[in-house]
Amino acid sequence: MTVRVRFFARFRELLGTDISVTVQDGTHLLSLVKGIAEKNREGYDAIFDAKGAFREFVIVMQNGKRIDTADAGSAPVADGDEIAVFPPVAGG
Amino acid sequence: MLSSRERERYKRQLMLFGDEGQERLKKAHIFIAGAGGLGSPVAIYLAVAGVGTLTVVDKDVVDQSNLNRQILHYDRDIGRKKVASAEEKLQAYNPDITVRVIDTTIDESNAASLVGHADGIVDAMDNYPTRYLLNEVAHAKKIPLFHGAIRGFYGQVTTILPGKTACLRCIFPCAPPQEVFPVVGATPGIIGTIQATEVIKYLLGTGDLLANRLLIWDGMAMHAEELRVEQNPACPFCGAGCGSKKTQESDTKRAQKRKTK
Repeated sequence: MTVRVRFFARFRELLGTDISVTVQDGTHLLSLVKGIAEKNREGYDAIFDAKGAFREFVIVMQNGKRIDTADAGSAPVADGDEIAVFPPVAGG
Repeated sequence: MLSSRERERYKRQLMLFGDEGQERLKKAHIFIAGAGGLGSPVAIYLAVAGVGTLTVVDKDVVDQSNLNRQILHYDRDIGRKKVASAEEKLQAYNPDITVRVIDTTIDESNAASLVGHADGIVDAMDNYPTRYLLNEVAHAKKIPLFHGAIRGFYGQVTTILPGKTACLRCIFPCAPPQEVFPVVGATPGIIGTIQATEVIKYLLGTGDLLANRLLIWDGMAMHAEELRVEQNPACPFCGAGCGSKKTQESDTKRAQKRKTK
């Protein structure tokens, strides 16, 4: 099945955006995003912590619906899904 | 009633919303938290639009390194209190409005009283702890919070309407790490100007607000994206039955959930 992953802002700079990936049935959100991010060390470190979990401020949306990143390890992806990964900013 | 001087000053926007709209702006009071990168364009555009009363709060002193983005402050203001500099510029832009400035740090003990009877809060802060505090005050007073934040060429902006939209904690349950952030002045210029547009629309009761919509600005790709957001039933602040005990429970639950993963 094919899933579309979109990175935003700094994540986009490091990893590109609008990435179409073919994954096996039963793939979960966490492993999907990790698989892509692993291609760029800096990009990976920006999104994941040392234990390999999503950094807690990272926003992940599946088809426009917010996913609690603590659940991403058990959230399955389906064919045609659109996943958005976004880093909030803090400056003013 | 608008004076003939005001009628002339606002001529080009009276074409948009008439005397009635202008009177609404004139009667309004907006609280601007921060006189920095975002606070500067927000305050300037609200002042020239004729928002009757602006309260600007900031504790800092103008530093040379602020000047690439904080357009309320000039080179000659270095070392001066930001609120003094802001007051002078805003009154010079528009002597027909009232500018109140407060030289203090917004904290838990003073936030609600600083905001007072303002009709809305503009989040022009540079840190999430204070933003969460403003979120709480906005909800307690049932007034909108116009959120904006920036980094580098990127920004985000949304309008929070207590009880109607996601709150700041629903959207950002965890704060990104605090840092000395890189920034080019045009970015807060864009985001602050969007915040000011939202304030004006809200006060006029017109247009479509960024309600439950998080606008994401990418100046590098020159692309704006909109993420739909919604109230989070598990929100540590506004989730069902909202209250401090609940907040603590949710925080604990979330922490436990993470530990078990």
